[in-house]
Amino acid sequence: MASTCVVLVCAMAGAVRAADEGVDWLGDYRQALRLAKETHKPLFVEFRCEA
Amino acid sequence: MLSPKDSPLGKLLEQYVCVRITRMDDVDVGLFDRDWNNAVYFFALNAEEQIYFRYGGRDSASPDTYLDLHSLEAALGDGLGMHRRYLGGELKLPPRPQAFFPRQIPLLAQRTFAQRQCVECHLIGDFQNIQREQAGTLDKLTHLYRSPDIKTIGIFLDVPKGLVVKEARDAAQAAGMKAGDRITALDGAAVATFGDLQYRYDKVDRKADKIRIAVDRGGSAVELTVGLPPRWWWTDLRFRQSSVDPRLDFEDRALTGEEKRRLGLPPDGFASQVKHVAELARALKTHELRVGDVIAAVNGVERDEQANTAELYLKLNVKAGDSAMLDVIRDGQRMKMQLNTHILSFRK
Repeated sequence: MASTCVVLVCAMAGAVRAADEGVDWLGDYRQALRLAKETHKPLFVEFRCEA
Repeated sequence: MLSPKDSPLGKLLEQYVCVRITRMDDVDVGLFDRDWNNAVYFFALNAEEQIYFRYGGRDSASPDTYLDLHSLEAALGDGLGMHRRYLGGELKLPPRPQAFFPRQIPLLAQRTFAQRQCVECHLIGDFQNIQREQAGTLDKLTHLYRSPDIKTIGIFLDVPKGLVVKEARDAAQAAGMKAGDRITALDGAAVATFGDLQYRYDKVDRKADKIRIAVDRGGSAVELTVGLPPRWWWTDLRFRQSSVDPRLDFEDRALTGEEKRRLGLPPDGFASQVKHVAELARALKTHELRVGDVIAAVNGVERDEQANTAELYLKLNVKAGDSAMLDVIRDGQRMKMQLNTHILSFRK
């Protein structure tokens, strides 16, 4: 059965993806957490269910 | 020409460490708790994993009812302000929630990790509910009817402006909420986005009869007490993938008092009229209901404290996969009819 996650990918998500090309997005949360500690920046975490 | 890093959104995102997670296998779902029937959801937090805001949430009509680039930009700006206050020691935040991982849900681990299948978002919520059902702790009002709709209590937001009220009706209007108010807290918990508001609203005890909503009105803080109407927690479950939800293959509407009186049914009963029958009903042998049939009772029960229709009574009181006996009135004749609910296939 096709997952809900696939069905429900929304226009907003697409808009964010299109607009943020060029912004660095990491793919590893632990790495991002370490970088946030080193740089004193906050984290912005996107969960996108693409299964 | 699009220059994303120079765009308002790009400039804001550049001040964050951004991370995109597409597999839930090793995600701390205790920290990143949310309604798992959202395919996209965002969190802003600090390196101590204290959450500044959630961004996401939906209603039954659409996955993107409350998603908007302007409100996202505003939230990201607010998050940076919170972060500055945090770094300056001026911001007090709730402690980090207890860690909890998908592998700690035994059935989920069996059905996904053990079979090398992906842990899809909706499976987390679904298998949590299956575990609760097996443990006897499932509360369908809370765990099945997640994320109550704020429109039910009359709150209509100006979505691009985040938590600014566009129109207040019904219970919200009666409590004194006005267009232009900006919602700032629910039952004492600060909220910065619709995602925050929906998450906190979902935590309200389903037996509660009122909530406290704080608003900013032209720079002044105003506290409102909103009375909660019956079934304030009810939402349309059709978009959800939930195997504790007994699939009924029909929809109904509550009978009016006059209709009940004409049929000799109790005025406080949940008798209802079938308004839609799914095509699956025949193939799956769920029931033989027809549009127009009146369901007068379920398993001999005509009244319920929570349910105002037979459909809702079944959803709340019958386990998915179990059967029930309906009292059906068709063309003035009362008859018994078996209903065999079914379960979503991914559970099998």
